Amino acid sequence: MTTSSPQHLIAPRFDEIETGAQLAPVELCYSQPVIDRYALASLDMNPVHTNEEWAARAQVFGMPETVGHGMMTMSSLASVVTRAWGPVSANGGSIRFVNATFTKPVKVGETVVSKGYVKKKHYHGEGENWVEVKVEARDAGGDVVGVADVGYNLPD
Amino acid sequence: MQIPERLDQYIETPRQREFEREFHLGWEQYETWEEATVGERAAGSHTFTVATEDIASYNRACGETDPLYVDPTYAREHSPTGELLQHPIFVTAIAFYCIGSSGIGSWIRTPGARNPGQQIEINEPFGIGDVITATITTRQKFVQRDKHYLTMFMEFHNQDGVLKATWDCSLILPATRSDVGLFVNA
Repeated sequence: MTTSSPQHLIAPRFDEIETGAQLAPVELCYSQPVIDRYALASLDMNPVHTNEEWAARAQVFGMPETVGHGMMTMSSLASVVTRAWGPVSANGGSIRFVNATFTKPVKVGETVVSKGYVKKKHYHGEGENWVEVKVEARDAGGDVVGVADVGYNLPD
Repeated sequence: MQIPERLDQYIETPRQREFEREFHLGWEQYETWEEATVGERAAGSHTFTVATEDIASYNRACGETDPLYVDPTYAREHSPTGELLQHPIFVTAIAFYCIGSSGIGSWIRTPGARNPGQQIEINEPFGIGDVITATITTRQKFVQRDKHYLTMFMEFHNQDGVLKATWDCSLILPATRSDVGLFVNA
């Protein structure tokens, strides 16, 4: 467990963030125990994630292996933003939305790295400004497995 | 048995223990792509009472280690909400629990389903003790490049009628019950 201070979950003010600003990457290894734990925590117990024998027979994604949950990839994509600023920040920031698209199934054993940057600033007036963060997840071979737009309300 | 027994070692909450984890059981009752009716709207068959342990378990499963996400005592003193920070995709667990294994939206449990992408909006975090109802509207079904897409819009309200989050949920599904059966019996 980290010994981090809550101070790091302070979001930048809207006028001080610049488009192109990068956020720290998030890495996740899709080992079978990690997938199993996610299945239980999300209650998505689809056997394509957890049952190796059935997955090998059914080949839902054309491969004889289990795959990670799309929602786990979506969670990692969102974590790029929420680990930096918090789902709610100590100074009034908060997440608005996560829109994700999955482009390639992630088979068991892969490691996925998600990286994001501030794509666009949406100015709507005092107390209503937000930014759009573009996040991309790639597997170890460099293939994009998922992308997301994450909206985040920033303090003035 | 389609769910390997090894998963038992990872169970962290009573909800995870009691939830019907075997998605191959009762598949004959799941709503299918061909049966779903666009415009139908109904509440899920269960409500979800939010517990600290549900949030902590989801956060840990996403790899969160910061005590604000996983240590309720620490979070009580330091979190902006006085509760554990809540991963925004935690709503996934609420949806699977509320929908249950028959009726509207139960296609979310379909063996053979594929996930093309999802849209989740967060209005405010779920509160500990909130009793969440999921209201589900079947929104669209269409075929694109021989893939059968089905979408539903889920609204998550607490016991006071506050809209906490929405989820525009899409899956690519086997089209018919017999197609589902091919996957179930693979």
